[in-house]
Formats: sequence, C-alpha cells, structure tokens
Amino acid sequence: MGTLVRQEIFKLTRKKSTWISTGFLVAVEILFAILSKVYPKTFVPASTFESLYFARPIIIFYMIAATATIITMEFQFGTMKQVLYRRYSRGQILVSKWLAMLLYSVYWYILSLGVAMLLKLMLFRHQLSIHQSAGHGLSIFAQSLEVSAATFITLWLLLSLVFLLANLFTNSAAAVSVGIIGYFATNIVTQLLTMLIQKWDWTKWNPLTMLLYPQMLAHPGVYQPLLNMQAWQMLLGNVIYIALFLWAGYKVFTQRNL
Amino acid sequence: MSSILSVQNLNKSFGNKHVLHDVSFTVEKGHIVGLVGPNGAGKSTIMKAILGLINYQSGEIKIANQTVTPASHAALSKVGALIEYPGIYPFLTGWDHLQLFADGDHQLIHIQEIISQLNMDSYIKRKTKGYSLGMKQKLGIALALVNFPDLVILDEPMNGLDPEATKDLRDLIISESQRGTTFLISSHILSELQQLASDLLIIDQGAIVQQTTMHQLLASQGKQTIMLATNDDKTARQILKKAKFKMTADPRLEVVATDDETMPQVLRTLVEADIEIMDVKRLEGNLESSLLEVLKQYRVAQKLAKEQA
Ligand SMILES: Nc1ncnc2c1ncn2[C@@H]1O[C@H](COP(=O)(O)OP(=O)(O)OP(=O)(O)O)[C@@H](O)[C@H]1O
Ligand SMILES: [Mg+2]
Repeated sequence: MGTLVRQEIFKLTRKKSTWISTGFLVAVEILFAILSKVYPKTFVPASTFESLYFARPIIIFYMIAATATIITMEFQFGTMKQVLYRRYSRGQILVSKWLAMLLYSVYWYILSLGVAMLLKLMLFRHQLSIHQSAGHGLSIFAQSLEVSAATFITLWLLLSLVFLLANLFTNSAAAVSVGIIGYFATNIVTQLLTMLIQKWDWTKWNPLTMLLYPQMLAHPGVYQPLLNMQAWQMLLGNVIYIALFLWAGYKVFTQRNL
Repeated sequence: MSSILSVQNLNKSFGNKHVLHDVSFTVEKGHIVGLVGPNGAGKSTIMKAILGLINYQSGEIKIANQTVTPASHAALSKVGALIEYPGIYPFLTGWDHLQLFADGDHQLIHIQEIISQLNMDSYIKRKTKGYSLGMKQKLGIALALVNFPDLVILDEPMNGLDPEATKDLRDLIISESQRGTTFLISSHILSELQQLASDLLIIDQGAIVQQTTMHQLLASQGKQTIMLATNDDKTARQILKKAKFKMTADPRLEVVATDDETMPQVLRTLVEADIEIMDVKRLEGNLESSLLEVLKQYRVAQKLAKEQA
C-alpha cells in the first residue's frame, strides 16, 4: 500500500498544475493579507485570518478537481489497465488513491495555515491577537482551528461524492461540476432546507444539511435551532455519508470492465 | 511439460452478447504463442480476462497454478502486459514511467538495457506528450518487460512500429524468450508472427478453432504456391484457370503447387499461349494463407453443423 500511495504522490508532484496551484494559493493569501492591512474596514483582519486569507474556498476547488482527476485521468490516458493488471487488488488501488488525496488535502491545509500564520506574524503583529475572543468562549485561533477541522470533514463529504461520480462517469467534467454545485448549493438552499426541516424533522438527515457543519460551529446560536441538530449529530452524519459514498464508489470501481 | 498459463472453459458475455464460448487452452513455459483470429474474434477480451481486468460468467484462469480472478491478482506479480494501446501519462517522461512501474530500484540496469535494446535512449528523458505513435508503443512494450516477468502478454505489439523498430522488438522478444520468458502475442501482422511464434492459438467468433504449433500448421496447410509475373496477368490467369490449375483466391497470379510437376506444366501452358513470363517465384507455405484456409474450413464446418441441427 505504501508503494501505491507513493506512486500516486509521484504522479501529483510531476504535474505542473500542482506547483502552479501552490504558487497561486500562496499569492492569493498574500494578496488578501495586504488588502486586509490596507483596508482593514472592508477586509476585517480577524475574519480574513479566519478564512486563512481566502485559501479555504480555493482549497475546496483544488481538492474537488484533484479528486476527480486522480480517477478519471487513468481512463482518459488509458493507463487504468496498466495500473490494474498488477499484483495489487482493485481495492488496494482505489484505497491508495483515497489516501493520496487525504495526504494532498492535508498538504493544502498545512500550507495555507502556515502561510496565514506567517502573514499574520509579519503584518498584524500588533493589530490582531489570535487569542482575542471570537465570542461563545473561543479565541479566534481556536475557532479558526475548529472551523478548519469542520470544513475539512465536509470537504471530504464532497470529495467522497466526487469519487463516486468520477468512478461512475469516468469523466471529470461531471464529477467536478457536481462537487462545485454541491459546494454552492449549501449556501443557496439553506433557506429551503430549514423550511423543510421545520416541517418534517427527519429531512434534516440529508447530506446537504451535513455540509452546513462548519457554519454550525461558527454560529451555533443561529444554526442549532434552524436545523434542529447538535454539532455532534452533524459530525456523525458527515462520517456516515462519507463512508456510504466511498463504499458505493468502491463497488462501482471493483465491478468495472476495462 | 509444465504450463505457465491455463484457461479452462472461459465464457464471457457483454450484456446478452456472448463473446467467448468455452475457451480452453494452455501455454507452455518458455514458448512464444501467437493468438490469431479476425477482428472482433475475442483476442483482446481473452487477454483482459487473463489479466483480471474484466469479470466473466464462468471459467478458470491459472497462472503458474495460481488462480487469477478480477478480485485476486496475486498471481499477476510475474506478468507484464500491453493491451490494445499503451497507457501513458503525458506529463511524465518515459523514464518516469519505467521507474513508476518498476518494483524496486534495483532494476535500473535492466531498465537501461531495455531502453537501449529498443533504441529509446534519445527521447526517454523527454515528456511523453511529444512522443510519436511508435515511440509510445515502444514505451508500452518496455513497461511490459520492466519487472522481469515470467509471462508477457502483448496485444498487437507491432502497432505503429517502423521496420527497424519491428526488428528490434522481434530480437528483444526472442532474447527474452531465451531467458525463459513466456510470450502470448496477438497480431495481425502474420509475416512477423510467423518469424516469432512457436505455438499458435487460432480463434474465431469467440471460440478456439485450433491450438497447434507453427510447424504443424504450415505443414498441414502450407501448400507451396508459384507466383508469376507476366506481360498480361489477366489473360494468363484465365488461361491457367481454363487449364484447371488451382489458383489462390486473390487477383494475384498465383498457382497452388499440388506436386513437383505443377511448375513445368504451368510454364509450358503459358509459353504455348504466347504469354511472356517475366518472373517466377516459388513460395513456401505461409501463415497468412494457412490461417485463412483453416478459418474457411472451420466456417464451412460450422455452417454445416448448424444446418444439420
Ligand atoms: N466493452 C465491451 N462491450 C461490449 N462488447 C464488447 C466490449 N469489448 C469487446 N466487445 C465485443 O467483444 C468481441 C471481441 O472483442 P475483442 O476486442 O476481444 O476482439 P479482438 O479479437 O481483440 O479484435 P481486434 O483484432 O479487432 O483487436 C467483439 O465482438 C466486441 O464487439
Ligand atoms: Mg483486440
């Protein structure tokens, strides 16, 4: 398994896009940090830091694209046969791809968090204390970490769905669009969702609600009554849906004729 | 006799289309086996089944006495393959590919050996994005050989190769085979296969027509033919036909030699008809004509069997 994961990582490091997107992410963080320094009224330093200087949404797009392509590129380049006929089982191949993406998402989080901390240290040493309270008993730093962890989990909810779709359609366009729509849908349909949940309580268990987990942590007072849910229930819901989507993708992958 | 590959009663359907019918055969260790048959006969499908790439309805496949299924690939550790077309990542160099798929680093010397045997040195460190069809094909073959496989499965390996590369490949296959590597090769380039394969598997419409050796097939079917060139091939053909000589099916001027007397008789007939003979060649039995003959006989037999049923 170690070999397989290493092979996936090797492919990632040899792609130009990996390095271009890394450069782009860092550039965006620097840009937003400077904006926040120059126009602190518009780009409030506390909240730009919390979004890791806009890195968080970018990471989500990167990961959706990377997850779709790690599966579909093998079909597109005709390399799937080569990857699969070896002594490894199909399950091992797919799991190695999951793990590679897990490592890749960790890479993005560590990178963006590191750059954000560095920028804060350089530009906002006296203006912004990350130990300052964010309300509801947490420091900005702790809150930022907690929300980051929650976005990481909901990101994986999206990615597990993207894995499933990439395996189903062997085409990244479909998988990427559904992932991105899923990302935006949560914000668009929140109102509709809360109406549904107020009418029928059980509808809260749908996967879209689970995507609201980070918002719930950021503003518990607002979301708890709207969704009729506790944070731990949403965490559990996320984990169950992730497992379900990954399992379905696994089934599709192992049954495919090449 | 020890077989490295055995396929027993393999049946495969795509939807309700029955593609492989009870395919059974074995491949002996160290042999070069040619898998031949018309387009759509099922050659690639058989190879994919052996490599655990497709699910099948029934049958058993064993490599070195170890069962292979789509779910269990352990027996494939000593198998190399190139199926249909090489899978290549455009963002990697040829060298990257070989390293990526090589088990362990200790094989650098072997990788280098394959590269120079296939004359790939000049471009192996370049991104494959810029490779030509034949360059990609060679890389695919190199990938199949990179892990010292005991069994190598090549589907149309001469695809897109120039004459020199074809010869390099032939030499490579022969030298690997002398080291004990077994090859299962499908190809439509029968003249090439004739120089390589010792055994033959002939399939048609998803069923094995014959498993034989190259020698046997050529001996059984391989009538000698006499190929002629004259100043008027069309007339010559008519004259020879009228004289009841057995001609090959092509529009070529080619007579099947039934015995040693055929040649002088043909020449005399043409001379008497005032046809000028420019060239005469005696052709040994070849794989192409033998194969076509076997397939023709098989189809006639199939048709008869159907009519009787
Ligand atoms: N994925 C698939 N879905 C449906 N039918 C298929 C599929 N793959 C192959 N077939 C059918 O199986 C039969 C055998 O195909 P196969 O590719 O094995 O032929 P082949 O002997 O390799 O032919 P060729 O010489 O053209 O490469 C064909 O009739 C083909 O239409
Ligand atoms: Mg084929």
